[in-house]
Amino acid sequence: MGFSKVIRSFLDDRFDTKLAGDLINKQVYKRLPPHTGWAHVFGSLALVLFLSQTVTGILLLMYYRPTPDEAHASIQFITGEAKFGWLYRQVHAWGATLMIASVLFHMIRTYFMGAYKKPRELTWVTGVLLFIGTIGFGFTGYLLPWNQVAFWATTVGTDSASKVPYIGDWLQYFLRGGDAVGAETLSRFFVVHVIILPWILLGTVAVHLFLMRLNNLATMERVGEEKPTPRECGIPFFPVHVAKEAVVMVLLVAVLVTLSVVSPWEIGEPANPLMTPPHIKPEWYFLPSYQLLKYFEGSSGALLGILACSVPFALLIFWPFLDRGKERHPRKRPLAVSVGILGLTAAVFLGYLGHISETDVTFFGQKYHITLMGWPEKITGDVGASPPLIDH
Amino acid sequence: MGIPAMMYLWPAARGGSTNVEVEGAIDLKPGRSKTLQVGSKAVIVVRERSGFLAFSAVCTHLGCLVKWDADSKKFLCPCHAAVFDGNGKVVSGPPPAPLEAYVVKEIGDKVYVAPPA
Ligand code: HEM
Ligand code: FES
Repeated sequence: MGFSKVIRSFLDDRFDTKLAGDLINKQVYKRLPPHTGWAHVFGSLALVLFLSQTVTGILLLMYYRPTPDEAHASIQFITGEAKFGWLYRQVHAWGATLMIASVLFHMIRTYFMGAYKKPRELTWVTGVLLFIGTIGFGFTGYLLPWNQVAFWATTVGTDSASKVPYIGDWLQYFLRGGDAVGAETLSRFFVVHVIILPWILLGTVAVHLFLMRLNNLATMERVGEEKPTPRECGIPFFPVHVAKEAVVMVLLVAVLVTLSVVSPWEIGEPANPLMTPPHIKPEWYFLPSYQLLKYFEGSSGALLGILACSVPFALLIFWPFLDRGKERHPRKRPLAVSVGILGLTAAVFLGYLGHISETDVTFFGQKYHITLMGWPEKITGDVGASPPLIDH
Repeated sequence: MGIPAMMYLWPAARGGSTNVEVEGAIDLKPGRSKTLQVGSKAVIVVRERSGFLAFSAVCTHLGCLVKWDADSKKFLCPCHAAVFDGNGKVVSGPPPAPLEAYVVKEIGDKVYVAPPA
């Protein structure tokens, strides 16, 4: 008897292997709706990136030390001394950015295809929670290298929390584990980043995927009129869709390694709690809120600013319950599609303003200084054009 | 279960020091400033001809640390371009409140700062 036969009969003697096999086959050979294509790969891309973050994160954990005295030096050790440490750090840092991008594209796809409509509202809600969790990963992970940008971006970020009505000061104190960003903040962010969020995300992903399989992928038919896809026109999950996913994974590895080599993340100066460097900006996915917050001044403005930044998230969560139209096809949903395009454009525009604010740019041969608020000011002479404290 | 856990997670106060000596303060030239840690907060001490000024260096907008500009006699924040005058009052920019003043004590040739009572 061959080895595989031995295992086979061992299992057959103990389990109903036919039942198990049928369950697995049903999932593997499931037919997907005919329009399932390349736009449908972003969900699995996000999943693969989550796995990659887990593996590289665990590897980083072997040498990373979450204290103000050791954090920065331990990252230097990882990138400089530990073999291939630079690669794992780069793939983790770039993976973070790509994971957020994948989740975003995945949301955009399901939004415009109307896939969040009945009966899939809860799949969408768990998806928005995953999006928030992923941003949480980015926010907490960013502090861990304990460098100047990270320290001060976190100071400003957690300070924004103090503007929340009633509980703001409390919230800020709680997030920081004290009055100022310090050792307690680093421990808290570390625990959230490597223990709490991974488990929460894992559980939420499981629910999300379970719901997705339970309801099948959405077709483009009207709500309540979806018919099960007949076998002959469905796209087999395996091998057809899985092959597309495999192609994307190979591209992902190529992109991750290329970015890591061509455009590595720097370690930066170690954090100095007594000196704020000029021009601290958050990561790209926080730029829209960062820029938006600037337009709200004074104590009442701060409150409005927090509202302006949280309303879009609340809208996202409740969207399937607000948009109860029956159509799924984007051409038949002018309002929802306009809202989506408007929201995206606003976010990209604000993000871009945030990105170029406090820098000099050249448009059509004319140099401009972009102010904090994002307004361009013509630069005529080259002396005294910028405010005294800001060195370029 | 939940309540003890919340209490555990609530940051335990790590006794903030009251009077902290500003090392080297006496050697500061007029117009010069020094930022130091008092408890968990950053405090900026400015040497003026007439004596010392001390304020929390934490900008009341979003927490960056202000610097002293000796020429204009103003505190400037590097983050969103706020300007505070020599009394800590907001001159321009987004901060909602003045800088918090600290108490300065000169004893012999030593200078101490303490949080406002
Ligand atoms: C799931 C398990 C994860 C573990 C165990 C983990 C662990 C770590 C560790 C130890 C660091 C510090 C080393 C370093 O800064 O390079 C770190 C940094 C970081 N992590 Fe994670 N991580 C995980 C997932 C994620 C995810 C899902 C994201 C984002 C979507 C993320 C985003 C980041 C970022 C932005 C940094 C800073 C990178 C840098 O500047 O080097 N992490 N993570
Ligand atoms: S933090 Fe000082 S002006 Fe914003």
